[in-house]
Amino acid sequence: MSNERQSAPSMGAPLFEMRGIVKSFGGVRALDGIDLSVRPGECLGLCGENGAGKSTLMKVLSGVYPHGTWQGEILWEGQPLRAQSVRDSEKAGIVIIHQELMLIPKLSVAENIFLGNEITRPGGRMDFDAMYRRADELLRELKLTDVNVAMPVMNYGGGYQQLFEIAKALAKRARLLILDEPTSSLTSNEIEVLLGIVEELKQRGVACIYISHKLEEVARVCDTVTVIRDGRHIATQTMSTLNTNSIIALMVGRKIESLFPRVPHDIGGVIFEARHVTCHDTANPDRKRVDNVSFKIRHGEILGIAGLVGAGRTELVSAIFGAYAGRHAGELYLDGKPLKIRSPQDAIRAGLCMVPEDRKRHGIVPLLGVGDNITLATLQHYAHLGKIDKHREGQIIQTQIARLRVKTASPALPIASLSGGNQQKAVFTKMLLARPKVLILDEPTRGVDVGAKVDIYELIFELAAQGVAIIMVSSDLNEVLGVSDRVLVIGEGQLRGDFVNEGLTQERVLAAAIDSSQAA
Amino acid sequence: MQTQYIQQLFVRYKILALLLAVAVIWIFFNKFTDGSFLTPRNLSNLLRQMAITGMLACGMVFVIISGEIDLSVGSLLGLLGGVAAVLTVNLGWPTWPAIATVMALGVAIGLFNGLLVTRLRIPSFIVGLGGMLAFRGTLQGITHSKTIDSVPDQLVYLGQGYVSATLSTTLGVLIVIAVAVLTVVRRRQRKQLAIQVLPAWLDALKVVAIAAVIAGFLVTLNHYGGVPLPVILLIGLLAVFTYIGSQTVIGRHIYAVGGNLEATRLSGVNVTRVKLVVFGLMGLMCAFAGLINTARLAAGSPSAGTNGELDAIAACFIGGASMRGGSGTVHGALIGALVMASLDNGMSMMDVDSYWQLIVKGTILVLAVWVDVLSGTQRD
Repeated sequence: MSNERQSAPSMGAPLFEMRGIVKSFGGVRALDGIDLSVRPGECLGLCGENGAGKSTLMKVLSGVYPHGTWQGEILWEGQPLRAQSVRDSEKAGIVIIHQELMLIPKLSVAENIFLGNEITRPGGRMDFDAMYRRADELLRELKLTDVNVAMPVMNYGGGYQQLFEIAKALAKRARLLILDEPTSSLTSNEIEVLLGIVEELKQRGVACIYISHKLEEVARVCDTVTVIRDGRHIATQTMSTLNTNSIIALMVGRKIESLFPRVPHDIGGVIFEARHVTCHDTANPDRKRVDNVSFKIRHGEILGIAGLVGAGRTELVSAIFGAYAGRHAGELYLDGKPLKIRSPQDAIRAGLCMVPEDRKRHGIVPLLGVGDNITLATLQHYAHLGKIDKHREGQIIQTQIARLRVKTASPALPIASLSGGNQQKAVFTKMLLARPKVLILDEPTRGVDVGAKVDIYELIFELAAQGVAIIMVSSDLNEVLGVSDRVLVIGEGQLRGDFVNEGLTQERVLAAAIDSSQAA
Repeated sequence: MQTQYIQQLFVRYKILALLLAVAVIWIFFNKFTDGSFLTPRNLSNLLRQMAITGMLACGMVFVIISGEIDLSVGSLLGLLGGVAAVLTVNLGWPTWPAIATVMALGVAIGLFNGLLVTRLRIPSFIVGLGGMLAFRGTLQGITHSKTIDSVPDQLVYLGQGYVSATLSTTLGVLIVIAVAVLTVVRRRQRKQLAIQVLPAWLDALKVVAIAAVIAGFLVTLNHYGGVPLPVILLIGLLAVFTYIGSQTVIGRHIYAVGGNLEATRLSGVNVTRVKLVVFGLMGLMCAFAGLINTARLAAGSPSAGTNGELDAIAACFIGGASMRGGSGTVHGALIGALVMASLDNGMSMMDVDSYWQLIVKGTILVLAVWVDVLSGTQRD
């Protein structure tokens, strides 16, 4: 990769412009006068905390909210664009690639690429030959040569699937490509490939809007950055005048002294031990996802678990928590006594709690209120003979919401209406109320904005200071090194390293994760 | 803006909208039956008919909230009612032991269904479909496909009896007092927790409206014999099920399981137990409904309860329960049952052909859910 970034193409008229966009929901302004513009071949970074209004802005932009339901102006090549639907804006050449991939697992790669845009013969019959040929061409443009486009999409990993989405966008002749958190589920190699492709699309004159919490990526591929906060336009500057710290300052509106407010804390004796944990794949029981992993953790210790995506970290911790679906074995000891855990219920009773990785699927009950979610794991504590003491429950909810600074208008609001960071805080609270001795955190800050991240780190340090042992799985090496006292590295299901976090570098952790000969 | 506001109003006061629909239906039928629909006698009849669907709907709404469905309840109602007839008539059992046995049997069969769903992981749709056939078959077997009549009077009283005017009036007054006290307590609690409270006049109006409805209800029914016993039973069940749904741990867990099973399991909730409770309650409600049905007809019929599951399920959806689980209310389901019963009763009085009755009921169900989708309470 080259370090000299091509200076933003300052010449030429904007391809796409938004002027003074205002969008209200029942009197609340979600967007309050947003301006942005992007030229052909330019990549614009759009930054803002969760809840700043990025998703709403994207929905206005892509026609999900039809013209007329918001105020302001959208110009496409200088002409007003009045999209009534996503189809209209796609016709103009605007294509969004969503954070969650929108591929249909059992359909072939080619069928997915041309979904809704099929090449047909007369009579509506699909022209598979033409589709396969064209899909092949598109993937070749993206430097993918080892894909059989007739195979179902589910045979390929997350990195490939992200590229299929881009191919899908290219098949629609996208001239403005919007990438919403495109790398959140990719490995670092895959991220490299993706960023390279964005560079190449820019060369070909495609305009991009790149939305990401990963500011290093923004700094690499974007020419210009627009920062929004609380629905307002804060700043638009060329990347050459910015760095990641100054972007963060603009995003949160205050200076964050340190992302990792680490406090020195005492570490006691061993509280929990896992021996010979082995997990078999659910679909293919011969394959071991976790292979004979043993480790110990002490009172007040923060144990980071690093490794590549798919290395078996989530499987390891869910097996310990009693939530792994496949066949698994291993011995667990808490305070030196053997522990029998057959279900999450057993684990929580014993003092072993987990904040799961996939918040939407495993963390929240979307229709229930914020308060009901918070007390879900400990409801029986506030009940007498099965009847909930609503008064006591309400008080506890109020205290917890205040303590963790969960931003919600009312505890009765459905939790689905909160931003990711606030949902995560609520899930945290739910588990904290169960008074864990050992707290497992699986990707605790995924999809969480910077402000909430700092709150969560502070909480982790506070818990450790109280003597809670914390096991934190994370793919963000900055986070692992910034938070942990000790780091385990898992690679292909095996324990590849156990490092004390003193002078430990990202390179060493990564090397251990990738290469089995580095084992400590 | 305007439509959003109306939508919000509609969501908040959905029950009012439903009651409005009931009123429209009643006025319509009253007009086309020359005033014989809205007579104490017919309303008494209507409520008695509704009681059976209502009992099933009470159980069904929890099943649906927990994200499952039970298609076997019509047949199970028939079977349990049939067992009651066989025990009392053919085997000469005294009434009360027979009732206790039928209830225990109902819970047992409900739990068995629940075990098939949770432990053996058979989808509840299939378990219900299987039960629908098997229970109907068993019923035909034990009754030899013949109606068993001359059921003992004690049992008949359960279905055909009335509560004395003094007792029902006392109950009515007690309910109004309870509602008033609860409203005040709730306001105070919400204020303490700094949760928004409705304006005082609106809450007062609510209490007055409830008192007026109860008074009207009592005056009308006492004009014709009194409040039917099954109706009193149903009101009791409404209270119990609303209490379970809103005040108890198991109730909260039922909503949580339906809203997100995995997240609930990972929160340490024993989701298997929650579903077993739900199916057990459903079985118990089938026993209630079966007993009342046999009592009302004074006979056990091999075709009793046919299509009962469809009425109960329709009642829940008309009452605002979500297909995907996680939301719904008991009182909504009962108003849904009232809608279905009103349609049955009104169209019979108008001498509408039975094929038309089916078409109209089907159409109303689809329309009601469509309106619900429009009002934005059912997420896509």
